[in-house]
Parts: sequence; structure tokens; C-alpha cells
Amino acid sequence: MTPEEVTDRLAELREAGVELRRRPASDTLASLAQVLELWRDPGSPWRRRLETELPGVTGFSPENVHEGLARGLAPFSGDALLALARSELGDPARLDTAGGSMLSGFDVTAVVLAGAIPQPSLLALLAPLVLRSPVLAKPASRDPVTPGLVAASIAAVDAGLGRCIAIAPFGSHDEACLSALLDASCIAATGSDASIAALAGRVRPPRRFIPSGHRLSVAALGPGALAGAALEAAAEGIALDVALWDQQGCLSPLAVYVVGRSDTAPDRLAECLARALADLERRLPRGKPDAAAGAAFLYECDSAELRAAAGGRVTLLGGAAQHFAVVREADAAPRPAPLQRFVRVHPVADARELRAALRPLAPHLAGVALAGFGAEAAALARGLADLGASRLCRPGELQAPPLAWPHDNRPVLLPYARFTDRETRE
Amino acid sequence: MTHGPDPARRNLDARVLAWMREPSWKPDAARFEALALELFAFQWERCPPYRRFCEGRGVRPATLSNWQEIPAVPTGAFKELELRSFPAQRSAHVFRTSGTSTSARGALHLDTLELYEASLLPSFARFVLPDLAPGERAPILVLAPSPNEAPDSSLSHMFGVVLRELGAPESGFFLREGVLLSDELLAALARAGEHGGCVALCGTTFAFVFLLDELARRGRSLALPPGTRIMETGGFKGRSRELGRDALYAEIGQRLGVPAARIVNQYGMTELGSQFYDSVLRLPGEPRRKLGPPWARVKLVEPVNGGPAPENELGAIAIVDLANTGSVLALQTADLGRRIGDGFDVLGREPGAEARGCSIAADELLGQAGT
Repeated sequence: MTPEEVTDRLAELREAGVELRRRPASDTLASLAQVLELWRDPGSPWRRRLETELPGVTGFSPENVHEGLARGLAPFSGDALLALARSELGDPARLDTAGGSMLSGFDVTAVVLAGAIPQPSLLALLAPLVLRSPVLAKPASRDPVTPGLVAASIAAVDAGLGRCIAIAPFGSHDEACLSALLDASCIAATGSDASIAALAGRVRPPRRFIPSGHRLSVAALGPGALAGAALEAAAEGIALDVALWDQQGCLSPLAVYVVGRSDTAPDRLAECLARALADLERRLPRGKPDAAAGAAFLYECDSAELRAAAGGRVTLLGGAAQHFAVVREADAAPRPAPLQRFVRVHPVADARELRAALRPLAPHLAGVALAGFGAEAAALARGLADLGASRLCRPGELQAPPLAWPHDNRPVLLPYARFTDRETRE
Repeated sequence: MTHGPDPARRNLDARVLAWMREPSWKPDAARFEALALELFAFQWERCPPYRRFCEGRGVRPATLSNWQEIPAVPTGAFKELELRSFPAQRSAHVFRTSGTSTSARGALHLDTLELYEASLLPSFARFVLPDLAPGERAPILVLAPSPNEAPDSSLSHMFGVVLRELGAPESGFFLREGVLLSDELLAALARAGEHGGCVALCGTTFAFVFLLDELARRGRSLALPPGTRIMETGGFKGRSRELGRDALYAEIGQRLGVPAARIVNQYGMTELGSQFYDSVLRLPGEPRRKLGPPWARVKLVEPVNGGPAPENELGAIAIVDLANTGSVLALQTADLGRRIGDGFDVLGREPGAEARGCSIAADELLGQAGT
């Protein structure tokens, strides 16, 4: 794609947006709700094509893609979208009316996608359209499939809406195309912190910039989840959260904090977790990591092995050949997280120590899976919210966030909205 | 410098030193194999954490048949463990990894600097100053702190030894307390160029970016004499803007007038007694690759299963270095490499390389978390 083509596409989208805004906002919303239902349906052609094509381009195993989509898209219902719109925007008619508190979207929104997990891309493409802002999307190099399929599914449901989304496939280092794309009046971007910082420096005022940087998740288990069936259930849930999307998503826990004074509870959890991950490797095999990711995994396994050999209270379960690793750590100090189903189990004495352990991670904290805290759960939840966690849930549920999950601690739709108050005097 | 009372160590050091002091570098696989296996057996006895690490893998001196089977220790382990093959009370010098305020620093404990210095000098001379006649000295201008300012930096120590043994009087250090001494450096470059012949401008990668930015700020471009060569090492470490190696060399070409064919990247690390250098000055016209001394060998590890990497495939770089008699001879780095003929290339992740997901990995997190 050339920079001129990007500019032309933006112009075409602006024109299509004018047409779109002549229709009631509720029409657009209803069509987008239908689109989501298509994606929830495992038998829809779009979903089937994504399941077929995604493993080949991303390296995820077909089983993992199937399960990840099934769980991740289940909460993305049409009704959930209508409820989200009502919750955040109020009456959709605010997008149509000419009085009072009015809402409108931008004339065009550029969406810069990253990563290979489809659900965040789907939502990033749909959110501006709810505000009737046409979308020009730059696909992630890791996932060239999802944006095109989403656009096609929209066009299949609503041809007029389909004219309001286009794809701009150009290379990550194509500065001229990127400059042309950044001429949109609203730019939403996902990516690493470094990529987001680089983009932020290029967005010229008064354009709106909606960044989504990298995030991480953890799990924390209290005394009520550290024995018997509760321990098994928590370990199985955490293992599923780790295994889905091979820990590449920000809702996969990188570490589990075992809260309490027991010296053996972290060992028990590590063993249960390792068993559950071994079982999941049979059902949802890990994809083949690229060389850098594989080397990082191997390196951290070796490091844990050596620390264990040196007499530390460290145990490595699994390893490179098993395609997962669980490291029982001696303390709560944060350590490198190579991903690819590598999870650390840290002991912490109490909730205060847990918050202290999480404080260094707070700027990137997304989800925390919690279990076994009983009456302390509410106070703990408040503390985690204050740290910056945007989602608290049970183990096993991290990878299926509701559509309304305030990723990055902010609303889903409102960042794409412009507000106008008409002050009328009789 | 005494080596202590350990006769086995004295014997090993003497044989490795003898190899390092030979004028020619004949590859000698049998000699390397014999010394590596003997040194492994020595360290297996003297370094308990390493012995237990090896035993965990079922490896004992008697089970090894070649040097490639020696278990390699991750370099990051030096941040947490003292991996010594001598008693703690004999520790005479500590080199620390550069690290940052946000991460722990690794520490290499040494009871002698003799092997380190004996290894670095012939490598530097061979790959950075191959055209220097025996006994001759060259102006060596260093963009790194002096050993006095950074006594625990192995790189500063290396440059100190190089200047002492190979440097002409104009040589010196031009980075002080993190600040590039631009005026002094430009004057020294002008003086060094007047003599003709070899001039070596050496330093950390980020210091070269400082220099390029300073020249850009002054609107200046230099045309350094043809005998000038550059040696850069160490990456950016978040100290300067980051750019790919090709872009860096292109900027060096534009601002300093030194073509890529005269720029040598050194691959070394605090935990290693030996270093590897780009071949471009030693073997001009041949493909750029990293070469090192015959007493240090590289193996590439298949990154997913840990076995030997297939020919022409990427692998994690592991190094067996006979100069590491006092610590552990086999080190697993976090770097990826590819074999090129008799050498190898180091392939880092390009700045801005895209991850598969939105999770944040590894050292990126720790670097930002301020731990």
C-alpha cells in the first residue's frame, strides 16, 4: 500500500461516514450487535475461517485457537454490546439529536493493531463504529487475518456499515504510510510501551490518541484455596488462564502469589499447577515459540535449575521438553517472565505483603485472579483496585473478560466519543 | 598475582596461559577438548552449585565425551550466585555487569586478572589493530569511563590494559561521569589523524550515539583518516536513542567518515574472560562474522528443545571459555546467533519488534517496574 492510497482510503471513509451518520445510531448499533453474534457462533463462516487461518499465521495450535475463541468470544454477545452502549453512552439517540447533551464520533478513526489475539482486535475495530466513526485499520504483522475477516463480516451484515471500515496493510517500518494514517482525527493504537511512546510522539494535536500498552496479570490464592479440592480447582483454573493463547495475552497470569504462613502451600500449588499444565499440553498443545521466545524460556528454566542447585528454596517443575514451566520461588521478588506457559509461584505472608509485591508491577497490572480469601476478599479487592488492576475474577475466568471490561482502567466506548452541550435559553 | 595453593588450578592456568601467549592462533580442537574437559572436572569439584546443577542433569566428569556436553550456566545467574572455583577469601577482584538502577548487577569474582588480561590483548590486537606492526603503538581513543572511574567494569579494565600495552601517548578516555568530553575528543582525533596510520576509536555503542548526536548538534561531519577504525560494544542499555546496527554504521559513515568495513563490533560480557570481534578488519572482503581466540568456542543451542541447533538455524549462544578458570567455563547467554562459516553472528531483537500478544515479557517488565 502506498501513502497516497492510505490518504485516499481515509477520504473515502470520511465520505462513507457522512452517509452513515444520516442513519439512526440505533441502526448501526443493531448491525454491530448482529456482527458480534456472528463471531460468537462457532459455525459462522467468519469464525470458521479465523479458526482455520489463525494457527498458520500466528503459531498457536489449532486446539488453542479453538478454545481461546470459544471462551473469549462467549461474553461478546449482541446484548452485551447494547448494554455496554447504554451503560457508557446512555440513550444512543444522543448521537442523533440536536439538543441537550450530544455525542458524536470522529470523522474517521485510525486503528493500529498489535499482537495475534483476535478478541482485542475485534473490539478495537467495532468500538469507533458504535460512535459512527469509520475505521481504517492497520493489521498487526502477527495477525494479518482478523481485521479483514471482521471487515467482511460487517459488510455481510450491513453493506453501508461495511463501507465504513477498510484495512491498510503496510509494513511496520513504512514511515510514509504511517504518517498518512496518522492524519486521521482519532488514532487508537495497541502495542508495546515502546511502540506506543513512539506513536504518541508522532500524533499531531488536536488529534485524539487512545493508547493501549502492554499489560500483565497475576493470580493470588488465600488460605481457603490452598488445600484439597479447592486447591485442585484453583490450580486447574490458573493453568487454563496460563495455557490459553500461550500466555501471550495480557490476561494470562505470569505469577501466582500464595498468601499465608505455610511453607509447604507454595510447593503443593506448584505441583498441582504443573499437573494441570501437563494435562492441558495434551488437550491444548502449546504452539511453537519463535527462536527468541524459545531461548528466553530455556534460559529462565536453566536459571531456576541453577538457583535450585545452589540451595535456594526454588523448584523447577516441567521444562523445555514439557512445553511448560512452574517455578516455585523462595520469595516474592519479581523476575523475568519469558511467557510461553512459564509461571512462577511466590510465597507472601499476608495481604499487605501481596500488595507490596505487586506494587512494582502496578503500572502494567491488568487482571488478578483471586480465590480463597473469604472475608478478606473485599478489602483485598479495594487494595488491588487502588494499585491499578482493572479486572478481578476467579481463576479460570481471566481469559473470558466481559465486553465491558475497562481495559486500561477506562471505559470501552467513551474514549471514542466527542461531547457537545447545547445550552438553550428560552 | 598468586593463584593460591591449589596445584590443579595452577597447572590449568599455566597451560591456558601458555596457549594465550603463543604468537600464532592455530585451531587445535584436541587441545581445546582436553583442556575444557579437565577444567570442567576441576570446576565440578570446586564449585558446589555448579556441581549440583550438573548432577541434576546427570552430568559428571566421567560421563562427558566432548566439550559440547559441558552444561552451560545462564549468565544471569551471576546476579544471584557467587560462582567461584576458589575459596572466597582468595577473591581479589570483582567485575560487575553494567545493569541499571532498576536491576540487579551480576558479579564475577576473580582471584587473578592474569588470564583475563592475557586473553584480551591478543584478541584486540588481532581484530582491531591487525595492521599494527609488532612493537608499534597506536592512538586509541576510548568512549568509556577509565578504570579509575569504573574499577568494577570489565570493559573499562580491558581498555585500560589495551591502552597500557598498545596505546600511543595520544590515547585516552573521553567519557567521564557519563558525559562525553566532546571538545577534548575532537582535538585528540585531529591530533591522532596528523600522524597517519592506525587510529582506533573504541567505546560503548551508546557513547557513539552521544558523539553522533553531538556532531549533529554542532552541524559537523568529520572525515577521519583512512587508517581510522572503530570498535563498538555493549548495546544501548537505555542510555541513548536506539537504532539498528546498519543505521548506526550508516550514521557513523556520514558523521565520522568511517565506512562500515572499518567498524568492528565486539561481543563480550563481564562473565567471560574472552571476547569475540567482527572479522572485517582481519579478513577484509569476507562475510562479516564474529571470531574469537581458539581457547574460547561457541555452540548454538536449539532454542526450544535445548539440543544442538541445526546447521544454518538460529540458536541460543553458549560459550565455553578456557579463560574462565576461576569461575565457570561454560556460559549460556540470552542472545541468539547463527553460524557463519568458522564464526557466528549475533542476532538481537530489533528495536520495536512486535510481540504475539499484549502481555509484557521478561526484562522489559523488570526494566520498567523499577525493581
